[in-house]
Amino acid sequence: MGVAGLAFAFVANQLSPRGLNPSRNYHPGGEKPDPAPQTAKTPSVSLTTTNSRPPAASPDAALKERLEKNGLHLLPRDEVEKLFHDPRRQQDLLMFIDARDEDEYHQGHIPGAYEFYHYYPDKYLAEVLTPCQLAEQIIVYCAGGDCDDSESAALCLRDHGVPAAKLFVYGGGMTNWEAARLPVESGARDSGSIRNPAP
Amino acid sequence: MRRPFLPPNFTALDAATVLVRWLLGGFFVYMGWQKALHPDLFQDLLREYHIVQNPFALNFIAISLPWFEVFCGLLLLAGIAVRGVALLLSAMLAVFTVVVLHRAAGLQAAEAIPFCSVKFDCGCGGGPEFICAKLTENVLMILAGVWLLAGRGRAFCALYALAP
Repeated sequence: MGVAGLAFAFVANQLSPRGLNPSRNYHPGGEKPDPAPQTAKTPSVSLTTTNSRPPAASPDAALKERLEKNGLHLLPRDEVEKLFHDPRRQQDLLMFIDARDEDEYHQGHIPGAYEFYHYYPDKYLAEVLTPCQLAEQIIVYCAGGDCDDSESAALCLRDHGVPAAKLFVYGGGMTNWEAARLPVESGARDSGSIRNPAP
Repeated sequence: MRRPFLPPNFTALDAATVLVRWLLGGFFVYMGWQKALHPDLFQDLLREYHIVQNPFALNFIAISLPWFEVFCGLLLLAGIAVRGVALLLSAMLAVFTVVVLHRAAGLQAAEAIPFCSVKFDCGCGGGPEFICAKLTENVLMILAGVWLLAGRGRAFCALYALAP
């Protein structure tokens, strides 16, 4: 019965339009990072004990180190914001890539960002690869926090021939972008439906 | 008076057992289907447990588990190999319960909140849930599986046992 169940599962996965490829490494960046603590909490034990461990590196430093291992670069929000206003963006020399799923993308993305959900690359590569080859700089983002889809998407693009030197990851992601009340486009790319338009 | 659609000697306990079988089957079909619709999200949730790190093993679980649950749920609904399926599901639920409990304990320690206030998406198919509610649900489902294992609920079964 177990064998029949597994056979059923693999046939169903093959037939499903959302099926996964069993032989693909979807996260070449490695294990998922732990989420950063939400708030600093009062420690329950004294920090002056001789056994206390040294404080862990900040989440940004850990992410930066992780990305650099794979030849990628981390960008903070202020730099991403500058790049968003860079005139090169209008000429597609600088592009944004949203690595979240279709529903999240349609709910709101950075204006002009291309959609690229790395779990189903065949659906998006045809539209994204040519602009990626032409662009000088590519900023990939996902939801932020412990989300590593931006890293996985950037590595997927790298594996499809986009030079790693062009690929930048916006670690704060959409959560950080929206928190700063920066422009958000809903619906399709260039739909013109913008919340918080730039002054 | 004889009830024409019911087997002879059909008692209230038999009726309850059939209901339990259908509920358990329906539960697994629903939970499995929710995961099968989004195997990408399910795989991502599996990664949060930090138990399986090999990418191909992760793919195997993300591909097989949701549909396997649907398969077992359908067998229970139809009444095929009931005790074997009940044994499999109870064993799977016991393992899931331990794993979810372990992760909840980790979250509780990290966030320093009461245990029952821990709420997260365990990847079970029902979205984010409070841990105490999830554990209660799992224990009830395990008990339902054990009840079916005891050999009751032969009524309305297409093929109660695969072997005679």
